[in-house]
Amino acid sequence: MSYTKGESTAKKVGEGTYAVVFLGKQTSTERDIAIKEIKTGQFKDGLDMSALREVKYLQELKHVNVIELVDVFESANNLNLVLEFLPSDLEVLIKDRTLLFSPGDVKSWLLMTLRGVHHCHRNFILHRDLKPSNLLLSQSGELKIADFGLARSLGSPNEEFTSNVVTRWYRAPELLLGAKHYDGGVDIWAVGIIFAELMLRVPYLPGADDIDQIDVTFRALGTPTDSMWELVSTLPGYNNLTVYPQPTKQELRKRFIAATESALDLMNDGTLRNVS
Amino acid sequence: MNVDMEERQQDMCPICKTDRYLSPDMKFLVNPECYHKMCESCVDRIFAMGPAPCPYPKCGKTLRKNKFKTQIFDNIEVEREVDVRKRVSRVFNKVREDFDTLDDYNKYLEELEDIVFNIVNGVDVEATEQKLKEYEESNKPNIEENNAKRQKELEEFKEQEQRKHDLRMKKNLIERQIEQEAREMKELEKKEIINTLASGDGTQDATKAVSQVRKSMLKRSSARRKQLDEIMQALNSSRQAKGEDKKHNVPFTPFNGDRTSQHNFDIHDSYYDPFLDELKSKKEYIASGFEVHAVYDRVLTEAFTGLGCYIEQEKKELNDAIV
Repeated sequence: MSYTKGESTAKKVGEGTYAVVFLGKQTSTERDIAIKEIKTGQFKDGLDMSALREVKYLQELKHVNVIELVDVFESANNLNLVLEFLPSDLEVLIKDRTLLFSPGDVKSWLLMTLRGVHHCHRNFILHRDLKPSNLLLSQSGELKIADFGLARSLGSPNEEFTSNVVTRWYRAPELLLGAKHYDGGVDIWAVGIIFAELMLRVPYLPGADDIDQIDVTFRALGTPTDSMWELVSTLPGYNNLTVYPQPTKQELRKRFIAATESALDLMNDGTLRNVS
Repeated sequence: MNVDMEERQQDMCPICKTDRYLSPDMKFLVNPECYHKMCESCVDRIFAMGPAPCPYPKCGKTLRKNKFKTQIFDNIEVEREVDVRKRVSRVFNKVREDFDTLDDYNKYLEELEDIVFNIVNGVDVEATEQKLKEYEESNKPNIEENNAKRQKELEEFKEQEQRKHDLRMKKNLIERQIEQEAREMKELEKKEIINTLASGDGTQDATKAVSQVRKSMLKRSSARRKQLDEIMQALNSSRQAKGEDKKHNVPFTPFNGDRTSQHNFDIHDSYYDPFLDELKSKKEYIASGFEVHAVYDRVLTEAFTGLGCYIEQEKKELNDAIV
């Protein structure tokens, strides 16, 4: 397989802390691809973890709603990931105030997200960084989950997972409270919050810092207590919490004026799964 | 400074120079004859004695008081076009169903647009008005019939919406009642327990009392549930009736046909596994939402992955299909 990379200055599409992304073309199929050039050298411990994770998990996953890893190659001391090129993402759409989302739009995005997440989970891979900017959209409108830099497999159960994952606003309560043995629920929670954000067009639970995030989350959705969530108070982060009551359906309905009943139920299910 | 002046102009009646600043209830009206703006009191004053010419210099159109209306759009051009469109579409009121082919309908729409364009932009206004009038004369019974039909449809739609709205309100009410009752039940239970404990009898009586309270409450709440179900059904059926018109032929499947329906193994409820059993009872695992069943599922799936896949056979079938 061979690829042509455009002139680096003109076709550079993005630059992150550990990678530069170029737009290129696959010579055999003429399709657009994104080449992610991982910066090495500046890390004294070798390659960045997230690059390894991305390669490791994307190689295993093939699904219409998960970004495709076309190839991996090495050039001049750099590791290059060849990914399919996806021109837009949900964050861009949410921020573009000129766009109106129809219920059908939101429904199909959510469905595609859930299909992708389901595929990851049935292969026992947690994404751990779901957020609108990681849900990319193709030219034809297919939604694909990207950025597996924080992904991790549900390995042997005696390992400790770090609870310091997922972008703050989309972090599930067990992570906020410092749980170390969570499961797919953290991804489902993020999907629920993304769903809320798609309806509100602003982030649903924007905490200013980690402590504030706990407060914001529980103020909106109620503080879990031992009676509804077994032993929740033994989690390391569970101390000095203000106990907020569970929101009634009325309150939620007021917050999401345009949402239909079933939409509210679905959102509730998404954000409550861990509790039950 | 300039902007300021313009803003002042906007809020001032050009006829009597009354300022919005001084009389905040002032309302502006326009007449579809010439769309010159003036305040309500001017309209009252000038046109109280019947039709009179427009007070704007060099306008001179004769206006009637009953034709004055509030301006809906900021832009007077838009306002005018909407008015014209309203008037023309009262005469040209056929819909797609009234035509045999799409081409005929498009031709009809084209004609309508031509008339609107001509009147709005002042091209052959008189000829166009004449055309409109002629059409109206020759199709009078048709037009009236159509208008009556539209009216009826609109009323039906409104009625349906009203019905839906009522159902929804009722549903909310019942849901609230259910919530309320659940709360009351908890309170009552607590009280009952305290009472029985206070009276000094054994715990047996307390549980008995609680179960009694619970039973009576359950009866009530189940009746409410039933009501709720009925309403939900009514709501859904009205929605379904609408959906049937569209005829979706492709059934929706949540996984797009891509789902592992059956495992090649059965998962038992528990296995002899001292290692997992120990984790299962640990506090931090329970609190994190750890489920031993999920671990069994994963381990067994990984153990049996690939069994039941016959690569050679699949390859052969693929080749046969290509040949």
